[in-house]
Amino acid sequence: MTATATAARSGSEQELRPGSKRQHEVTRLLPKPMLAIILGFLCALVLIPVAYIFLASVNSDIGVARGEFLPSSFSMENYSKIWTSVGLATGLTNSVLVAGTTAIVSAAMSVATAYVLVRYQFRGRLSILRGLLALQSVPGTLMVLPVFVLFSSAASYLGIQVIGTQWGLFITYLTFALPFSTWVMVTYLRGLPKELEEAARIDGASNVGVLTRIILPLSWPGIVVSAIFAFLLGWNDVLFASVMTRPESQTAAVALQIFGASQEGGAIPLYGQMMAASLVCAAPVVILYLIFQRYLVGGLTAGGVK
Amino acid sequence: MSTDSFREARTADVPAAGAPQPGGGSVPPSGRSVRRKGLSERNRPLWMLIPGGALMLIIIVAPMLLGIYMSVLNLDQYTLRKWVSSPFVGLENFVEALTDSPLLHAVWLSVSYSLIAMIVTVPLGIAAAVATQNAFKGRALIRSVFLIPYVLPSFVVATVWRTMFQPNGVVDSALGTFGIDPGLWLNGPQTYWTLILVQIWASWPFIYLLALSGLQSVDHEVHEASALDGALWWNKLRYVIFPYLKGPLSLAFLIGMLHHINNFTLPFVLFGVPAPADVEVLPILTYVTSFQSFRFGLSAAMAFVSLVLVAIPLFIYLRAVKLDDAETPGGKK
Repeated sequence: MTATATAARSGSEQELRPGSKRQHEVTRLLPKPMLAIILGFLCALVLIPVAYIFLASVNSDIGVARGEFLPSSFSMENYSKIWTSVGLATGLTNSVLVAGTTAIVSAAMSVATAYVLVRYQFRGRLSILRGLLALQSVPGTLMVLPVFVLFSSAASYLGIQVIGTQWGLFITYLTFALPFSTWVMVTYLRGLPKELEEAARIDGASNVGVLTRIILPLSWPGIVVSAIFAFLLGWNDVLFASVMTRPESQTAAVALQIFGASQEGGAIPLYGQMMAASLVCAAPVVILYLIFQRYLVGGLTAGGVK
Repeated sequence: MSTDSFREARTADVPAAGAPQPGGGSVPPSGRSVRRKGLSERNRPLWMLIPGGALMLIIIVAPMLLGIYMSVLNLDQYTLRKWVSSPFVGLENFVEALTDSPLLHAVWLSVSYSLIAMIVTVPLGIAAAVATQNAFKGRALIRSVFLIPYVLPSFVVATVWRTMFQPNGVVDSALGTFGIDPGLWLNGPQTYWTLILVQIWASWPFIYLLALSGLQSVDHEVHEASALDGALWWNKLRYVIFPYLKGPLSLAFLIGMLHHINNFTLPFVLFGVPAPADVEVLPILTYVTSFQSFRFGLSAAMAFVSLVLVAIPLFIYLRAVKLDDAETPGGKK
């Protein structure tokens, strides 16, 4: 027992080495049947609605309205219709554009801020850290009105039209993305060893040199994570996008929401297209998560655990 | 550069410095326990805070203050254009919000729905974390599956459930095979429970993630000790494992409450506006007051109330959260 036990202990926190039976028995938390029931229930809970999105997207609208789970007819044509009927072509372009720029800018800006917050002592440092967390919880509904008013006064006083353009959305998303990205970077940079920086300093590197030559190359996983979260923030937002866009600058989220709302009343709603569009809107997000899962899970809980 | 004398000079004038402002570039240097700090005290590139800090000040703090200021103005669609010169009405908006609007009802709905959703998601999340703690074939896949509801965008989740909850939709027909007639999901008093159900579906993986991180902090010795004692699985969970989850779960509880209270997208897309009275939660009410009835001042007052409401869990959270790791000194206050 000792050999395996110490081996597991040295790799301490979590993962047991696969294949070591004894470890398995010692750390086992649930009896097998319990395990099967829980896993079965939770997987069904998740997968049935997810499967339904796809099944309904290839079903006929009448079939969906009748409450079919398995489609009685099959057609992929919803996937070709949604680009114009829901306006998903413009929507996705705008979403990628706005969320993408937000991601790049906020990730880039957060590195330097986070670096100083992690490595240097100064008065007010803790207040700033606390502020970063607090700003993430500012209700969106508190911000939407003043932002709207500020932008419309920019139009009437300065002659700059911001409302209805992608710029307005970009600035707004930055509002929420910046504190979050910075916090993600703070938690990431903490994990970097100081020794490399110190070595670079002894070799005469300046502050900027340390940042660009040592920190940036080392912290790209953190940068990617904070960029992805900033991207998702823009991608998932409905509140600001519904107030500040015109049809031509709509994001995918608003396009889908408006399409869904406009289906009320009258004939049978175009459920198939709604589901197809939902799937298309969700796909990039899910793919991003699957690719970067290892890093992202840490980031998801970053605000809570640290 | 003569950093040492520079440092001394700085220490001298610190006591006079005022209270620091978050995000500001003009942060006065720290004077406490200077002697014991090496590298991190010298030559600090505090100017690097300026770009990010200034931007945050401009785009977050300014609109926030403006929002609070607007709550004391009589602002509607006629005065909005010239909001600078719109009439000052003091606390009138707040009085109206509290006495003559569904605000208190909305607060009650928001808090109670957040709480109920939290209470259901916690056991789900713990069960999921406990079940995937031990390695088995296909665990990685199941862990990815568990994350799906959390990573799906809210507007997608809401659109899908809205379709599933249609009268005679797939939920009704599934329940129909058991002879249950659930009634309307998207209209009338049952909407409150619809909202809770969908919120639970979307947010339990968050609890799962935090519970998992708690489980992983359980030392192997603990497992060994309870195995030696021959503890039954239920006792082991109850008395050995669950105490480890207390910390992460109370944080999850606070963050979850914050998310739920601020959640606009889910009720908005699920029910549309104007929402049924039973799901007119705080964000929806604020939105409708602004962009449907154009009572901007009143809406700003409501938004301020939601800020106060959010501030309660936020305050507890900020007290509890560990802002620093052990390495960097200065975890005081």
